[in-house]
Amino acid sequence: MSDSILVTSLDEALKWGTGKSLWPFTFGLACCAIEMMSAMGSDYDWARFGSDVFRDSPRHSDLMIVSGTVTKKMAPRIRRLYDQMAFPKFVISMGACASAGGPYVRGYSVVDGVDQVVPVDVYVYGCPPRPEALIQALKMLQDRIVAGRVKH
Amino acid sequence: MMGRIQFPSTGGRGTDMEDKVIEVNFGPQHPSTHGVLRIKVKLDGEIIVDAQPVIGYLHRNAEKLAEMGAYPKGMIYIDRLDYVAALNMELGYVLAVENLMDVQVPERALWIRQMMVELNREASHLIWLGTHGLDMGMLTPFFYCFRERERILRIFDEITGSRLLYNYFAIGGVYSDITPKAIDMIKEWTEDFGTKLEEIQSILGKSYIYVSRTKGVGTLSAEDVLSYGVTGPMQRASGIKRDLRKDSPYLFYDKVNFDVPYRTEGDVYARFLVRIEEMRQSIKIVKQVLEKLPQGDFYNKKYSKPMLVRLKATGESYVPTESPKGEFGIHLIGDGSSIPYRVRIRSPSFANLSSIPTMLKGYKIADLTAAVSSIDPVFGEVDR
Amino acid sequence: MIPVESESSTKNGIKVIYVAKENILPFLKEKKEEGFDTLLMISGVDYKDHLEVLYHLLSSKNNTRIIVKTKTDGEVDSVTSLWKGADWHERETWDLVGIKFKNHPNLKRILLAEGWVGHPLRKDYPMDKKQYVNLADDGEDTVSFDRGEGY
Ligand code: SF4
Repeated sequence: MSDSILVTSLDEALKWGTGKSLWPFTFGLACCAIEMMSAMGSDYDWARFGSDVFRDSPRHSDLMIVSGTVTKKMAPRIRRLYDQMAFPKFVISMGACASAGGPYVRGYSVVDGVDQVVPVDVYVYGCPPRPEALIQALKMLQDRIVAGRVKH
Repeated sequence: MMGRIQFPSTGGRGTDMEDKVIEVNFGPQHPSTHGVLRIKVKLDGEIIVDAQPVIGYLHRNAEKLAEMGAYPKGMIYIDRLDYVAALNMELGYVLAVENLMDVQVPERALWIRQMMVELNREASHLIWLGTHGLDMGMLTPFFYCFRERERILRIFDEITGSRLLYNYFAIGGVYSDITPKAIDMIKEWTEDFGTKLEEIQSILGKSYIYVSRTKGVGTLSAEDVLSYGVTGPMQRASGIKRDLRKDSPYLFYDKVNFDVPYRTEGDVYARFLVRIEEMRQSIKIVKQVLEKLPQGDFYNKKYSKPMLVRLKATGESYVPTESPKGEFGIHLIGDGSSIPYRVRIRSPSFANLSSIPTMLKGYKIADLTAAVSSIDPVFGEVDR
Repeated sequence: MIPVESESSTKNGIKVIYVAKENILPFLKEKKEEGFDTLLMISGVDYKDHLEVLYHLLSSKNNTRIIVKTKTDGEVDSVTSLWKGADWHERETWDLVGIKFKNHPNLKRILLAEGWVGHPLRKDYPMDKKQYVNLADDGEDTVSFDRGEGY
């Protein structure tokens, strides 16, 4: 009885800690990446929400923001980068392109949705989504991590 | 400051370089590739023997998709080419289409276009400056540049209703008039952006580390510039004074006063100075446009929105424009139907980027990020 | 003087010159010596019964530009010996329109993955036939029509 209480509360603490210390991966694909940079930049400053340190290596980061169009040539590389990230890892699919192909869905070399490549936790709509929307997605992801409703 | 090293060199480690060359893969995911550039670099010790860019990781079929829909529909793909300077891209398309269809555009719309394009050039150069700072290991300019850029984006937000991709220029004019509030915002911006720019410039330009990492690095001679078809600020930094706004004026560039900055060194530092000076000139242009802005219609009433998709055209047209990256134009071929037969995009970054092998050869690997970011490639436009 | 087949112009007055396909390399060489020092782009157009290659030339000193066109059935001489920038443009035209450039040093696909079937900007390219790309262990792309492991 006392065992399980200890384990549960440690688990809660871990989840809380994971949610509040997400390290995103510097990974820009297309136009949405510029809005991602705006979210990092002076006006929106998303460091306020406990997701400060943008990491340049997949091995140091636990949040991948797929910010842009996923082409067929890039998709296997995205998968490889995702595989290189350490657990626990989360994915935000930013923008219409990453979520479903966006305006390029009729094209011959565009993957319609990054969910075919990596498991996605939060989708953000918009072309491009405003930085506020991305910040909302981050908050949503944090809530989900705390509640234990994430894919990995 | 080492500068370029001629081959064959000892590379610091013996004479027989061939068997000591190692191949390093740079990108497609790397914080200083500005997107998804990949470069296969051959290194002898620290020195670059050969660098071959590999592109196509953002090939989004813009040309094919634009050939599949009516003329105004192509705009959404054109917008997303150089996504940091979307209005400049729109201008190239809109001018080509109007030229093809002999559409008359009211004067006010042309002036508005000119002002918006210059503001967007400013925003694009600010992004370049911020990320260039990041690539050189300086985080501070990024925040300064983004603070200033957000001000311009707020103006765009007020006028067009969106922040990054606007779809604002329409065939025959623009989609909405500029509001008095927007004019106030622009006025306020023109007044103090100059001093802010000075501040940003001094962060980089007065830093000994920055200057010594960029002077004499990534040089491109005037012959190479012509041979590769390099245009824009890169061309002007190599001593070729060409600016389409002066040489073959479109819109009302012949009615405003501005200088074309150029340098002769052809290195990264010269490109930095040219771009900064261009931003100053853009402020000047915006100020003059505000003074000269006439009253009147902002679009041609003959071309109401539902009618636009039924416009037909024959013949061909190519209108060169000066985008922040260089000469941008669209070669349109119409076959008499309402769908363009061929939309061929002349993308400046594509040609600029193809000069990488010449630009990097003989420099150290640490100079690579400086040189690549000085090209200011935007991959939406390189890969189209 | 290399003979010119016909001349016309675009709507905004850029001169368009048609040259026979055998003469394209000497003609462009002549033009380069006349002062057209910049090759802005090379593009290909599929007119269903034939293909056309377009060269946009600019003289940076005189500030004039011309468009040189040639009709072909799929092969022309490469102009990489005249302009270094022609390299990428020709590769792109081969990639997307499928025009072969003779004597090009490295005529490979540039935008699409190596091994892609067909040339998308041809008017008869089947848009509904999907191809899938994957990454082999040596870092090269593989392409197949079969969904399999690819994306
Ligand atoms: S969703 Fe829109 S803004 Fe984002 S990458 Fe796609 S086209 Fe660009």
